[in-house]
Amino acid sequence: MAAHEMLAATNAVVSLDVGLPGIVWPWLVTVNMWAKSIGTGVIFMLFMLLRTHPDSAKQLRFATAVVAFVFINIFLLFTLADLHQPFRFWHILVHPHFSSAIAWGTFMASTFLGLLTLLVLLGYAKKDETYDKVLLWTSILAIPVTLYTAALMAQCTARELWQMPAESAQMILAATLAGSAAMILLGGSKLTYEAKKDLGVVLGLSALMAFIIYMAEYIFGPQKAEEVAATLEYIKGDGQYAVMFWIGQFMTYLIPMLLVVLSRASKSEAILKLAALLALVGLFIVKHVWLMIPQLLPMS
Amino acid sequence: MQLGFLVDLHLCMGCKGCEIACKVENHVPLSTWRLRVKYVDVGTFPETKRTFTPLRCNHCTNAPCERICPVSALHYIDNGIVDIDKERCIGCAGCVMACPYGAIYIDPHTQTADKCTYCAHRVASSMMPACVVACPVEANIFGDLDDVTSNISRYIQKNQSNIQVRKPERGTNPHHFYVNGGNVALNPLASERPEGHHLFGKMTSKMPVGGH
Repeated sequence: MAAHEMLAATNAVVSLDVGLPGIVWPWLVTVNMWAKSIGTGVIFMLFMLLRTHPDSAKQLRFATAVVAFVFINIFLLFTLADLHQPFRFWHILVHPHFSSAIAWGTFMASTFLGLLTLLVLLGYAKKDETYDKVLLWTSILAIPVTLYTAALMAQCTARELWQMPAESAQMILAATLAGSAAMILLGGSKLTYEAKKDLGVVLGLSALMAFIIYMAEYIFGPQKAEEVAATLEYIKGDGQYAVMFWIGQFMTYLIPMLLVVLSRASKSEAILKLAALLALVGLFIVKHVWLMIPQLLPMS
Repeated sequence: MQLGFLVDLHLCMGCKGCEIACKVENHVPLSTWRLRVKYVDVGTFPETKRTFTPLRCNHCTNAPCERICPVSALHYIDNGIVDIDKERCIGCAGCVMACPYGAIYIDPHTQTADKCTYCAHRVASSMMPACVVACPVEANIFGDLDDVTSNISRYIQKNQSNIQVRKPERGTNPHHFYVNGGNVALNPLASERPEGHHLFGKMTSKMPVGGH
C-alpha cells in the first residue's frame, strides 16, 4: 500500500471547487411558515373556544376570521415572492405534479383561503349557524394545510435534519402555539379570564412538547446520522446560528412556559400576554434557524 | 434503454476539459456549473495526494428532484435521463433543496432551475455528451446500462468490486458510477473547507442568483 493511502481522510481539504450555492430558501420561507402557523392556529383555537367557552368566544368569530385571512394571505404572498418565476405560479394549477407537496399545498391553501373568505363574509353578516358549519370544515382543512410544509421539508432528501415525523409534530405544535398566543392577544376584553387560562395551557403545553422535540434532536440527532451531526454543529458551541438558536428556544418555549405558570399563580393577564407576545416573536427565530442550518452544508 | 455515466477516477487528471466543454455546449452562465471537477488534497506535506472528482447530475431512478417538482418541469425521458423543461419551471428551488448531490442550480439568466441533462439534445442525435468527447483520457464513459455489450456495462462488469455511487444511503439509485472513488472523493463531509484554502470558493458574479 502506498504511503499516501495510509493517511487519515480527516486530513482532506477541498482545494478547488465552485462556490457553494448558499441559502436557497431565505427568510421569505420563514415568513411563510410563521404566518401559516398563525393563520391555521387561530382557526384551531376558535374551534376549541366555541366548544369550551361559547359565550365569550362567539364575539370573536369575525375578528378571528379576519386575522386568519390576513396571515394566510401573507403566507401566500411570501410563497409567491420566493419563487424565481412568480408569474408562472399558475403552472401549478394547469400542470400539477401530485407527488410534490408543493402541488398539494397550493391546492389546499387556495381552498383554505376560499373558506376563510367565506368565514369573513359570514362573520361580518353575523350568520353564526352557517359560520360554525363552515368553521368545522375549515378547521379540518387547516390540519393538512399546516402539515404540508413538513411534507415538503421531508421531500428535501438532501437535508437530513428535516425528518417527517418530527417536522409534522413541530408544524402542528407551531400552529397551536401561535394560534393560542394570537388568540390571547386578540381576546382583549371579549374573552373571559377562564378562556384565556385555557389558551395559556395550550400555549404552555405546545411550548413544552416542541422544546422536548428540539432538544431530542439536538442531543440524539448527531448519534444517528453524520450529516445531522454536521448540521447541528451550526447551533452548537460557537456555531454560526448557536446564539440565535438559544434565543429562539428561550423566547418561544422556556420563558413563555414559565410565564404561563406565573400568570396562573398570580392570575395576571398581563403576564399571559407577555408570554404570548414572546412566543409569537420567538417562533419566527426558531423556524428561521431550523430552515437555515441544513442549507449551510456542502452537498458535493 | 437506461443511459448512465461512469467516471474512472484513476484516469481523471483534473484537466477540467469536461467542465469547459459542458459550459460551451450548454451555454452555462458564469458562476454556475452543470459539471465540475472538485479537487481534494489529502494528507500532510510531503505525503500528499490530490484527488479529482467530476460531479454532475446522477440521473437517479428515484430522483428527489423529479418527485418534489410541482409542475413536472423535471421529468424522465424514455432513455432514463432526468430532463428539465425550463419553460415550465416556476423557480421554487424545491429541486435545489432536494438534490442530495448539489447538482441543480438556479440559472441567473432564466431564473429557472438547470442541471446536467447528459446532453440529451446530443444523445437524441446519436452523439456522445460534450464532456465525454472532450475527455483526453477517456475517464468519462457513457452508454446504455441495459445493453450488456455497451462499453459502460462491460466496464462495470470488469470493476465489480470497485464501483461506487455517491450517497447510496439516500435510496436515490443513481445512474452515475465511479471507479476507484474513495470516501474523500465522494463524501462531502470527509473533507474540510477551511476559509482561504481553496480556489473559486466564493460567487464572484454580479448577476442576481435568485429572485430574492
